[in-house]
Amino acid sequence: MGINDAAPRRGPGASVGQAADVGLEALLGGVARGDHAAFEAVCAWAGSTVFGVVRSVVRDPFQAQEVCQEVLLEVWRCASRFQPGKGSAMAWVTTIAHRRAIDRIRSEHRSAERQLRAVSHVVAYDEVAEMVESRLERERVRRCLGSLTELQRESVTLAYYGGYTFREVAGLLGVPEGTVKTRMRDGLIRLRDCLGAER
Amino acid sequence: MRLRRPEPHTLAGAYAMDAVAGADRARFERHLARCQACALELRGLREATVGLAGAVAAEPPAAMIGQALAAAARTRQLPPVTSQATARRTRRGSRDGGARPAPVPGRAMLPRLALALAAVFLAAAAASGTVALHAEHRLGADQQGDQAVAQVLNAPDAVMLTARITAGGTATVVMSRRDRSVVFTTAGLPPMTGARCYQLWLMGPSGDRSAGMLPEPRQGMTSPVIASGLAAGDWVGLTVEPAGGSPRPTSTPILMLSLPT
Repeated sequence: MGINDAAPRRGPGASVGQAADVGLEALLGGVARGDHAAFEAVCAWAGSTVFGVVRSVVRDPFQAQEVCQEVLLEVWRCASRFQPGKGSAMAWVTTIAHRRAIDRIRSEHRSAERQLRAVSHVVAYDEVAEMVESRLERERVRRCLGSLTELQRESVTLAYYGGYTFREVAGLLGVPEGTVKTRMRDGLIRLRDCLGAER
Repeated sequence: MRLRRPEPHTLAGAYAMDAVAGADRARFERHLARCQACALELRGLREATVGLAGAVAAEPPAAMIGQALAAAARTRQLPPVTSQATARRTRRGSRDGGARPAPVPGRAMLPRLALALAAVFLAAAAASGTVALHAEHRLGADQQGDQAVAQVLNAPDAVMLTARITAGGTATVVMSRRDRSVVFTTAGLPPMTGARCYQLWLMGPSGDRSAGMLPEPRQGMTSPVIASGLAAGDWVGLTVEPAGGSPRPTSTPILMLSLPT
């Protein structure tokens, strides 16, 4: 019929091997075997989340694009290293995205710029509202962030969206480092439980 | 009271958000290598960061994905970590019965992978608004549906197919001839606006049979729809129909996927 260009594919050792290849997790299995269509599907699936994370940390749109491409390429290169038993595929991908974004801003080491960023990131929590694609997801995460104490929420958003170390966050908030450490942990635990409970 | 040397694993939250740098990070990673409880906790905290990530999702510039695909085409991939290397790395840990060598990618791990997938589907299905509204009524049906999905995924003759949808996005289909079923999901399909919906079909010599409407996409993907009663010569088709669906396709399919025999 010629409507779709993709022909059915049977990889080497097909049958059972291909059976599980639905969902991001299994698509990564396809990517690990060098399947370009699977990689394209992974990009379609996770691209907006990767881009969102990187953009929120890196800020500069041009650099964000560069970092995103690095992230997607790392997913391609390292797909064989993904271990399904050790967490979700989305966690694996977003961890790569966040880490790459952090690497980029930490390598900059331009303190003046970081001071500027400090100002803009105090509002990170409110920005969540504007940047979100899906209203339901936004509401869910907002509700859960809202269930954190103020210090937990500020610590989490400054670290995750702002890209600050816990020591920097302590400095920004004028709170002892030990307190920030535990607030980050408690905040994430609460967030995890809240997101899990709302599913 | 603060301990003089605080438990290193209070850093797990900061570490999960990449908020630990330099010597702090090296110290925590050394601790992490020995502390299974920390590794387990870190895994849970990373799942929480997925929520944070999803909350800022934004459509990337179209050219960016294209460039990533092109770059991938000219980039060599890393080989998997072999069982030998893994065994060497975890030998110390396995003595206390905790750490086991990671499974070697291949047949051995597939049933577990399928199970994990079924869990992903369950989560995707449970996360959709409809289900939330009618959770109690639909739970039984959903569980049955998920079992059917898991059965197809685990079928010994199952085959995966991926195809572009002309309206945008990608369809992924898993087919089992033995079960006469296909499981259908999409990623990146544009959300439907107005009083219309996406309808899935089996089309072939036995006629065009509806396999139901696609659910609303969530985080860019639709939870799996199962189409049973697969007959010889069938294609999988997707059309845009008035809300509520049509008894017969009324528009040009945006996806027509031939199935291997």
